[in-house]
This record gives sequence, structure tokens and C-alpha cells, in this order.
Amino acid sequence: MLNLTWLIPVFPFLAFVLIVLFTNPNKKLSSGIAIGSVAVSWVLSWGVFLQSIAGRIGMGEEAFRLHVPWLPTGTEWFPMGVNVDPLSAIMLFMVPFVCLMIFIYSVGYMHGDPRYSRFFAYISLFACGMLGLVVADNLLMLFIFWEIMGLCSYLLIGFWFEKPSAMKAGLKAFLTTRVGDAFMLAGMLLLYSQTGELTFAHIFAPETLEKLAHSQVNLGFLGSLPWASLLAMLIFGGAVGKSAQFPLHVWLPDAMEGPTPVSALIHAATMVSAGVYLVARCFPLFTAVEAGPQLGLVAFIGAFTALFASTIALAQDDIKRVLAYSTISQLGYMIAALGIGAYVAAVFHLITHAFFKALLFLGSGSVIHGSGTQDMMEMGGLRKHMPITFATFMVGTFALAGVPPFAGFWSKDEILADAFHKFTEHGIASWPFFVWLFLTLAAFLTAFYMGRQIFLTFYGESRRPHAHAHESPKSMTYPLIVLAVFAALLGFAGVPEEFPVLGHLLGGNPFHHFVGHEFPATPLNGLVMLISVVMALGGLFVAWLVYGRSPLKEGQPDPLIQALGPVHTVLRRKYYFDELYQATFIRLALWLSEICFAFDNKWVVDPLVNLAGRAGVALSDLGGWIDRTFVDGAVNGVAAVIGWMGGALRQTQTGRVQNYLLVAVLAVFVLLLISVVI
Amino acid sequence: MTLAQIIELLLPQLILLITVLAIFIADLADTRKEKGWAPYLALAGILAALITSSLHWGREVSFLGNMMRVDRFSVFFNGVVLAASALSVLLAISYMRPRTPYRAEFYALLTVVALAMTLAAGASNILMIYLAMESISITSYILVGYLRQDAKANEAAIKYFLYGAATSAMMLYGMSLLFGISGTLDLTGLADFFRAGVPEASRWIAFPAMVLLLAGFGFKTALVPFHQWSPDTYEGAPTPVTAFLSVGPKAAGFAILMRVFITGLPRFYTDWAALLAGISIVTMTLGNLVALRQSNIKRMLAYSSIAHAGYILIGVVCLSLSTTSPFNGVNSAMIYLLAYLFTNVGAFLTVIAFEEATGSTTIADYAGLMKRSPWLAVPMLVFLLSLTGIPSTGGFIGKLFVFGSAIQVQFYLLAIVGIINSAIAAFYYLNVVRYIFFTPAPEQAGPVPVPRPLRWVLAICLIMTFFIGLYPQPFMQLTTGSASLLASL
Repeated sequence: MLNLTWLIPVFPFLAFVLIVLFTNPNKKLSSGIAIGSVAVSWVLSWGVFLQSIAGRIGMGEEAFRLHVPWLPTGTEWFPMGVNVDPLSAIMLFMVPFVCLMIFIYSVGYMHGDPRYSRFFAYISLFACGMLGLVVADNLLMLFIFWEIMGLCSYLLIGFWFEKPSAMKAGLKAFLTTRVGDAFMLAGMLLLYSQTGELTFAHIFAPETLEKLAHSQVNLGFLGSLPWASLLAMLIFGGAVGKSAQFPLHVWLPDAMEGPTPVSALIHAATMVSAGVYLVARCFPLFTAVEAGPQLGLVAFIGAFTALFASTIALAQDDIKRVLAYSTISQLGYMIAALGIGAYVAAVFHLITHAFFKALLFLGSGSVIHGSGTQDMMEMGGLRKHMPITFATFMVGTFALAGVPPFAGFWSKDEILADAFHKFTEHGIASWPFFVWLFLTLAAFLTAFYMGRQIFLTFYGESRRPHAHAHESPKSMTYPLIVLAVFAALLGFAGVPEEFPVLGHLLGGNPFHHFVGHEFPATPLNGLVMLISVVMALGGLFVAWLVYGRSPLKEGQPDPLIQALGPVHTVLRRKYYFDELYQATFIRLALWLSEICFAFDNKWVVDPLVNLAGRAGVALSDLGGWIDRTFVDGAVNGVAAVIGWMGGALRQTQTGRVQNYLLVAVLAVFVLLLISVVI
Repeated sequence: MTLAQIIELLLPQLILLITVLAIFIADLADTRKEKGWAPYLALAGILAALITSSLHWGREVSFLGNMMRVDRFSVFFNGVVLAASALSVLLAISYMRPRTPYRAEFYALLTVVALAMTLAAGASNILMIYLAMESISITSYILVGYLRQDAKANEAAIKYFLYGAATSAMMLYGMSLLFGISGTLDLTGLADFFRAGVPEASRWIAFPAMVLLLAGFGFKTALVPFHQWSPDTYEGAPTPVTAFLSVGPKAAGFAILMRVFITGLPRFYTDWAALLAGISIVTMTLGNLVALRQSNIKRMLAYSSIAHAGYILIGVVCLSLSTTSPFNGVNSAMIYLLAYLFTNVGAFLTVIAFEEATGSTTIADYAGLMKRSPWLAVPMLVFLLSLTGIPSTGGFIGKLFVFGSAIQVQFYLLAIVGIINSAIAAFYYLNVVRYIFFTPAPEQAGPVPVPRPLRWVLAICLIMTFFIGLYPQPFMQLTTGSASLLASL
């Protein structure tokens, strides 16, 4: 099975090609091909996953590698291949399965869309990008697939390009992530220039890391840094863009303009996890220097984003935007976990989050499909009309809020426990303390805004006249149920070993043993667990106090507006980041582009290009003229002298072939002369 | 060597011979007009020859008194020329049907050229080389003038013939000079003779002999200054034949050129390399500059084909025995020829489909092809980009290898001239793109139909262009393995 790993991204790609080239007119066949291809990839992936558990595939040297030479670079061949280690195996467990669920769901959701086939083509290519990224064995391939996903996100977010907002959102997502990509590319190129390698197995070899950690790079007035720190921070730039971390978080909420399955696909399960995956993949590089600034940066950005995004989520009314900010916040958890060295906890949260966030997005899609609006203020009382959606959405909410024993509880708790552990090691005045504090506060806010969402959406009475909500078709609810099962139970794979009864019963944290047995497991901490349970339940309880006890009536404003006063406005406007970027970077860029345009078009480049173009034409005219005048002329002259050819003969074709022959013979004579003289 | 062994080694050629005879006999037996079977019979024979030839991969044998060789080099070139022939057969089916009543003979003659080209790829004796080249030429003359009612085709054939006859005479003179001083016709014997020590007098004869040989080889491969026949012939010949001439006989010509110069005259490497380097520069530059001003797409592709011969020549000049580099010169020329085969056939395919639908070969008439037939326009874009040498296409890999081999041996001048020329070439290739994509189509223009055999060719060329461009490694290995000739340097 492992030898077939390379086929995993190939099938969705074939589906993309087939749909685009051939089956485009046939909608049923197109979606069938897309789903079939992902199903095949899914079966293969789980085969690989199971085999890597059974085969005790490990990190680094123990990983499975399969590669072939690809491009000639100087004296060597750059290889292309697949790499299966526990990290990619666990991603292969999650990605194709969630993709498959989303694909099936899309059949119902996109039903009747005029560009139905094209949608399936795009999401197939997207799945190819994510699967390829997961199995790639070098940074260049990873980057290629990363960019394929970037392209697809642009196409899919702007899928309904008739809506100007969707078009803008697509562009925004593409451009914002490009900013991060530029850093990543710079990191990649510097890494290559330093080591001459991009293959993971080689760049993460101990001796290479040793070299990178001990050679300093001088950054002028910024002082000097070990290469490893600089490279790690640059690569982290890519992750910041892709995983929508502060300050490049602005694209993700807008990306909700895309069809909801896309939101689930891109913004929950796959693309945004790619950033976290990248950091996890390059984790050896991040930890190469013990005391470097890179880990602190990662932890700070992650923890700050987690808290920052969850505050914004409080004041959003759009059901998908709340989830979008929640995604940013949860990604912040993972990034922060990686920053404090909690590799296993981060990967664990990445996996569980993918399942429950896909569930929540698809559930919100079902709500939108059933109620016909995205504004939570217009919903209410949907519990009665959409029982399956409600039940599964509740599971997702509990998982996200961290209510035991749902999946999110275990993974979030592991991160918090690691942060707590780290801060007790470093003392209260250290950055791990703030990481822990931020994440704990964010946990409370998370529970609160999810409670708010539940009460506004499903409880009370409908706040919209003539609302005829209905349950969604089976192709949409079945994936919800399947994902709900995973969202509820997946956490048991990572129950801490010391946990009473369960820990032993469930095999002593098999997730940790598989993904990161090299890392010591963080000891169970009852206090942290208690705090996180209190935060989750407390948040939900406060939400009940505000929204559940007396459900909002039609036209009644959000009680938070009064409670928070001007703060609410700031939160609602997302701390004015869009406006800030508009006023600074975008205006600057436009101004620069104006200048460059003028430089290009009016002042320098165009005139130069025109000059060069004219020179080229003149040169070729000259060549033609020389050919006609001198060559032909010489030949004609000779011909005239010898008397073979007259003016009349020159007009005819036979005359010309004699010319040709003369040229050939003369050329031979000239060449002979040259060869003899030299 | 037993007869059975000889038959086994000559099996590709024998299969082609039998195919030719079978077509002629069946043509006599079948009194109907249609003869729809003829191209497929030819195709089957060519493919069978291709397969049997491929089975010889890895052998290094001389036989028939050193007249012929079967080595990796010959097997590779058999593959190229037979693939070119097979694609040309497919190209010709829909084109020739309405234009000539003598359909079966055309494919028989095409198969004869294929046979002659496989002989050329394996010939290791000057006499054998001469015979093979003459067979290619004479049959090609007939193919060019096959449409007897077409005055332009007749004119093209006559020019081609006269030019070919003259250069062939010069080449024969060069060969006789070589035989005169060395007393041998065998290429390895020739190399041994010169290696043993060169008397001053024979240097004076060997140099002119090389120039004279070059007249013949230059004619076959359309190198400046022996190129003047090609635009007229390419324009006048039936378009499938043009496509064929631009890839098949050209590849065979390069096979002969490399084998004669590298195996037979390694002693004079620096001399002929300097000569060829100059010719390469002139060929690239003239081909590209004149192509800029063409308004007929067949003529433009003819000049472009001249320019490409110049690029390929860089590989022949810049030989390197280093084993650490991926570029050794010969493999660069080979991979370039391979990529050029599929790209150029693909480009000509568009020309054929367009000509069948509209009767026009004027570039300006391609206006709005994107709107009329996106399925033809987009592949054409790919082929034009590949001809330009844009990354991810086969053409890029070809250029990468020839320029890489020039840089490898530090012959920077050739690399620079080549790169400047690629930039010039972009102008006229992208000019066609401009017409196809950005100029509106005439009012009543409908879609351009693509007959079924052409679709197969289109798919093959498109796949191979991308395959070579995206994953060059297997072709690289193939060509590096085929460069066994270099051993004699």
C-alpha cells in the first residue's frame, strides 16, 4: 500500500482533468467522477494510514520514502517523491475522509447551480493540492501544491463571481495569502542556498540542523541570528498567511462568500490546516535553536490570534462569519501549541478541529439552505424544523467549546495542559504564562459565542416573517451524521494515559504513541482540566443567561450591544483592520502602482520597449534587405556575368532554384576557403 | 554471424520492406477507389518496426561487414523517425483523401522513407550512409510533388530535387576524397586511420572533405547556407509531408551528421566543431530573423524549423565527456529533437486542420480561432509556447539541455546567441497567439472541425509535450544512454 502513496493526489487530479475536458456538460457524471476519485484516494489513504500504524513508521529516518529524480540542477538531480511519516499518515486519515464527506454534501448543496460541474472540477483540484501537500517529500513540491490550493481558493471563494463581494473576497484571499507565500518562498530559497537541499529527510537531518543552528546570519542593524531561526521565521510567514493568523487573518472571514461546502473544505478541514501542517512539518527546524526568538514569535502570534479572533466572533451576526473567526482562533491554539513545543497536542487539535469544524460549517450550510438566510438575527426556532441539523450542530458546538467528553475537549485540554506545564517551569512572569492565560480566556469566549450561536439559531421563535424552514436532503444530513460521530468520539484516541479508568481502557493515549513517541507526554493536570471544563460550561451558561433565558424577539437588538457599549462596535468592525489595511498598505500599493505605471507607460519603459521593438524590426528588415540586395544581388550579379540568367528568368521560379544552387556552391567555396586558410 | 542473427538485427527494416510490398500488392488487388485500409496498414507496419527496433535496446553490434550498426544511438533515432512517420501517416489520412486518387501509393512511399531513415540511423559505412540518404531524398521528392495537379507542389518538388541532387553531388565528392586518402569507407576504420597520425597532405584533403560532406548533411537538416530550398518546399508540399520533412528526415540527417563527425572524424573535433558553431550561429539568427516577416504560417514554420536546427547544432558542437553533468551535448541534441518532434507535428496539425477547413495558410486568417475552436486553439498555444521554449513544455527542456551543454563546456557565445534568438523567436510565435486569442474572428466563421485521426495525433503530441516538459527524467536517461557514440571521442 505504501508504494501506492503517490497515487493519492493523482486520482483527484485526473477527476479534475476529466471533468474539465470531457464530462463538463453532464452534471451527474461530473460529480460522480469527483466523488469516486476522492473515494479511491480515501481508501488508499486509510490503507497507508493503517499500514503505517502497523509498520511502526516513525519520524525522520524511520519515515517511508519513495522518490525518483525529477529536474537536473547543476550536477545533481532534484528528486520528487512521497514521504509518509506519522504526521502525514494522520493527515491522510483526516483529509480525504473529510473531503469525501464534503463532496457528498455538495451534491445536495450545489444542486441546480449552473456551474455545478465546474464546482466539482475545482474542488477535485483542491483535494489534489491538499493531498499532494501532505505526501510531498520536499519543500518545493509542498510549495507547488500549496500554490495549487491558493489558486483553487481564489477560484472557489469567487465561485459566484456575479456577486462583486464574492469576487473581491476571492481576490483578497489570494493576495493576502500571497504576502505570506512571499516570506515562505524567501525562506525556501535561502534554505536551499544554505544547504543545497529541500528534501525533508535531508534538511531535517541532525547534522544539517546542527549546521544551520550554529551558523549566524548578520541582519545589519537588527543584529545577528542563527540561520535556523531566520529560516523558521520566514517559513512561518507562509503559515501565517495560509492559516489566517494575525496580522494576515483578514481574508478568512471574507472568504465566507464562497459556497458553504467550500468554506468547510478550505476554511476548516484542509487549506488553513496546511499552514499548521507546514509548521509541524518543519518543527525540527523550529526547535533547532534552543533559545532563538522563533518559537516565542510562533507562540505569541498563535495565542494572540486565538484570543483576538474569539473576541471578534462575539459581535458577528453572520452564522458563517462567527465560525470563520472561531476557525482563526482555533488555528491560533494550534500555532501557539507548536510555539510552546507541544507538537503532539497541536497535531491532535488539528485533526479533531478539522472534523468538528467541517461539521459546523456543513451544519451552518444546512441551516442556510433550510432557512434561506445567513443572518442569525433573522433565524431562531430552527430546532423544530431541522432536527438532524440541530443535533449534529450541538455535537459540533460541544466539541468546539470543549465540553467533555467531546473531541475538542481532549485536544484543547492537552494544549492548555502543555502551556500550563511550560509556565510552571518558567515562572509566572514568562511568556508561556501569557500563552496559557490567553488560551484559557479564549476558551471561555469560544464557549460563549458558540452558545450564543446555538440559542440565536435554534432556540426561541423565528424572527423572520414567513420563514418556512425545512430539513435538508439526505445527501447533506448523512455527512453531518458521520462527521458528528467523529466529532464526538475522536478525542478518545488521545486521552491522557493517567486519566482515571479511561486512560488505561483506551490504550494509554495511542495518538501520542503514534504521532510523537519521541516527545515526552505531558503529565495529566487535574487543575488545568478543571479550569478548562469550568471555562467551557461557564461560557455556555453565560450565553444561556444572555440569549437562552429569554430568547430574542423579532426586531430586538442584541443585548451585547448595550452590555459592551462602544467596545461592541469595535469588535463588530473587527478592530478596524480592514480599514487600516485599506488606508495604509492598499493605498500605498495603489500609489506605487500608479507611479510604476507612469514610469512604465509614459516615461521610461514603454519608450524603451518601443525603441527596441523598432530596432528589432529594422534589424530584420535590414536582414531581409541584405538577403535580397546583397545575397540575391551578388548571386544575380554572378548569374548575369556568367550569362545563365536574365531579368526574365529572375521572375520565374526555376530561375530562383538556380540561385539557390549558386548560393550553395558559393557557400561551399567560401567555407572551403575558410577551412583551408585557417 | 549467422543469417538468422542478421535477419533478427534487420527485422525493423524487413518489416517495413514487407509493409511496402504488401501495400503495393494490395493496392493492385483492390480495385475500389477508396483504399481506406492503406494508411492503417502502413501504420501497423511502422509501429511493428518501432516495437521490434525497441527490443534491440542495449545491443551494441556491427554487422554486414560493418555496413550497419545496431546500438542505442540507432535504436533511439529509429524510435524518433518511426514515431515521426507514424504521426505523419495519421496526419495525412484526411488531408490526402480529397486531393489525390492514388491514395495507397502515398503511404507506401512514406513507408519507404521510414525504411530509408532507419537505415540512415544505423549506417556506419560511408557508402551505406550515402545510399540511405539518397533513398530518403528521392522518395521525399516524390512525396513533395505527390499532388501532380498542384503547380505549387510540382514547383516545390523540382526545387527540392535540383537542390538535393547538387548538394548530394558535393557530398559524394567529399566522400570520395575521404576514401581517396584513407582507403576505407568504414567510419571506425576512418577514425583509426586519422588517429594513427595525419600526414600534412591529408589534412589538406580532410578539411575540404568535411566541408563538402556538410553540404549534403546541411541540406538534409536545413542548415544555413544550405537552407534555401526549405521555405519554398515546405510551403508548396502537401502539409502532412511538410510536417514529416521538418521532423523525420531532419532527425535522420542529424543522426548521420553526428555519427559521421563523432565516430568517423573525432581527430578533427576542434576543426569541425568550430565550423559547426559558426553555422549554428548563422542558422539560428537567419532563421529567426526571416521568420519574423512571414505572413504564411507554413513558411514561418519552415524558417522556424531552420532556426531550431541551429539550436540542435549547439548540442552537436558542445560535446562533453564529463559524467557528473547531466548535459553531454549528444543527449541535448537528442532530447531537443524528441521534444521538437511532438511539438512541431502538433503545430503542423493545427495548420492542417485549419487548411482543410478554410483552405488558408495565412497567419492573419487565424484571427479569433479561440472563439471558433477552443479545442484547437489551446493546444496550438501549448505547441507555440513549447516552440518558444516556455517552462513546463518539452521545448523548454530541449533548450535547457542545449544551452546547458554550451555552458558546460564554457562555450558562452553559443549560449548567449541561442538565448537572444529564443527571445526573437518569441515575437513571431506569440504573434500567432495574438491572432488566435485577441483578434476578433470574421463574421460568418464557424468552428474548425478536427478529423478523428488528427485528434489522436493532437492528444499524443499534447501529452508528450507536457510529459517531456514536466518529467524529463526518463527521456534524459534514455538519451544519455543513447549517447554511446561519445565513446569514440
